[in-house]
Amino acid sequence: MTRLFGASPALVRVDLSIRRGEAVVLRGPNGAGKSTLLRVVATALSSTYGGGSVLGFDLATEREEIRRRCELLTHRTRLYEELTARENLELFVRLLGLPAARVDDALERVALADAAGERVRAFSAGMRQKVAVARALVRDPELLLLDEPTTGLDDAARTVVERLVLDAAAAGHTVMIATHHPVAPELGARVVTMRDGAVEAAG
Amino acid sequence: MLVGQASVIARKDLVIEVRGRHALGTLLPFAATVLIAFGFAFGPGRDVLDRVAPGLLWMAVLFSAVIASRRAYQVETEDGALEGLLLAPIDKAAVFLGKAAAVTLELLALVLAVLVLVVLLFDLSVQDPLLMVAAFVLGVVGLAAVGSLFGVVAESARTREAIFPMLVLPLVAPVLIAGVRATDLAAAGRSSEVLSWLGLLAAFDVVFLSVGVLVFGYLLED
Amino acid sequence: MAATAERALGKATSRNGERTLGVASLVALAISALLSLVVAPPDAVQGEVQRIMYVHVPAAWLAYLSFFVVFGASIAYLRTKKTRWDRVAAASAEIGVLFTALAIALGMLWGKPVWGTWWTWDPRLTTTAVLLLIYIGYLAVRRITDNPSRRATWAAVVGIVGFIDVPIVHLSVVWWRSLHQGPTVFRLGAPEIQGTMLLALLGGVAAFTITYAYLMTLRLRVGRLEEREAREALSPIVEVER
Repeated sequence: MTRLFGASPALVRVDLSIRRGEAVVLRGPNGAGKSTLLRVVATALSSTYGGGSVLGFDLATEREEIRRRCELLTHRTRLYEELTARENLELFVRLLGLPAARVDDALERVALADAAGERVRAFSAGMRQKVAVARALVRDPELLLLDEPTTGLDDAARTVVERLVLDAAAAGHTVMIATHHPVAPELGARVVTMRDGAVEAAG
Repeated sequence: MLVGQASVIARKDLVIEVRGRHALGTLLPFAATVLIAFGFAFGPGRDVLDRVAPGLLWMAVLFSAVIASRRAYQVETEDGALEGLLLAPIDKAAVFLGKAAAVTLELLALVLAVLVLVVLLFDLSVQDPLLMVAAFVLGVVGLAAVGSLFGVVAESARTREAIFPMLVLPLVAPVLIAGVRATDLAAAGRSSEVLSWLGLLAAFDVVFLSVGVLVFGYLLED
Repeated sequence: MAATAERALGKATSRNGERTLGVASLVALAISALLSLVVAPPDAVQGEVQRIMYVHVPAAWLAYLSFFVVFGASIAYLRTKKTRWDRVAAASAEIGVLFTALAIALGMLWGKPVWGTWWTWDPRLTTTAVLLLIYIGYLAVRRITDNPSRRATWAAVVGIVGFIDVPIVHLSVVWWRSLHQGPTVFRLGAPEIQGTMLLALLGGVAAFTITYAYLMTLRLRVGRLEEREAREALSPIVEVER
């Protein structure tokens, strides 16, 4: 598939297949297209030419089905500043009809139970990412996509992210991570290298 | 499902609005400023101001609607939250309806405050308040619908400042016309004539809410 | 039905089609000019000034026809995602905005001697003015983003919503104006339109429509060239299956 931003190609004829339950790490210099690829898979972007399928659902026609089963974590946490951590999570629980109990559970697991009632506005980058991780835990997606999830995070937050990745892999979920730093190296993930919008080596 | 999701989103927007105090802190002073400016522009003779009071009122509401709709989407750009709504497996039309509902309620609160101001500043006397309220409710819904539809476009990175009002204002011309007429007639107590204008407003609302539900998803996707 | 539309589009936009349309529009315009300026009699009440109608009305007709095409092409684009419909919509909008401005200008030119003022909020002229603003909004939205599919989609939404709004605007302005039994003795028309006057009017409408079609084929050709150029710029990298 190919994705163009205006006239600049961000992804060029990327042809990649990933088995369910696999863990894949995307490597490559900045501008290689890793983020774009993840966003296309997450259906945040559509491919300009070509298509594909995610978890058996077509990228062009079954986007909502894909969205139901996948969660994307990037450095933009997509949280609402004026809402508390808990409220941000409850928003998704209510929107998606998920069990409410998962919220407290997730907050515990990311060690945010005490700060849950504070507005996200006051959170550090690390705490925000923890909330994002909590959201992923609440949603429990079959496909977990992470784009540079540990950049600029403190150790506590970094551990939380790694925990998420490991647990997801252990549960048989598919994981794709784009990163410069090693995240959960014990995963034994397949490494896919990208450069200039194309796949260089598919591991 | 759609209504449920829309009310969750509306509730979220209102909570953020109340906590951020944007409506109180910015919108109301803005509306008041506009009205006072109109007073300077058209006054101080009582007769002119009396005649144009409904129009001025609606102009203030119109400008406020533009600001409120814009604000509804600015909230979403803070940390890419709008993308979160896109990626959620919900009916995208729920985002539209939810936001339109929230903006409607904010504007209605504003209208209430502004009405008090106008009655004081311009000595507007109202014979049929019920019909006038109906006119404002129906009108505000229409403004909120158009604003919430194109607000998505307004918050894109490269959008120039004036595009959003430029899109919205011509489209809501019927609301302005019908709203002012209805308010004027309601104030004068000519109830039967008000009804046809209310009908026009209602039709506008139905059309734009329906069309909005159908096309909003396209605006959100990339 | 979509397939026949596409085939007709294909035929019309071929080189031969374009040339035929060009000639046809010149001929039609010439005939229409003859009919309007020479053959049709001057209006009993308004005199020679009334002849502006033979250009104003066709221009207004085209303003709305163009927007209807924008509407239809926008729907077609959202349904099929084929860029050719976006090109049609964009072309029709660009041509339409010119005709709309022309119609309004002519309306004002006609109104000045007849009404005594440039503008009296005449319902049809006012609605056309709002239409012009909506057109401008449409074209402005097209410039927000570089991303072709986003541009096309957003523009399509504006095209659809705008078109649906126009009848509502018209209705509200008509009602609004009806409150004002003002001194507008003359509507922008002629008290009776008969015989040669009707012929001249219809001739004008036909001539303008053919001219619109011709301008469309020109603009569409430019649009296709632009697209091909953009594709070629990328061809070392991208292979596009059309």
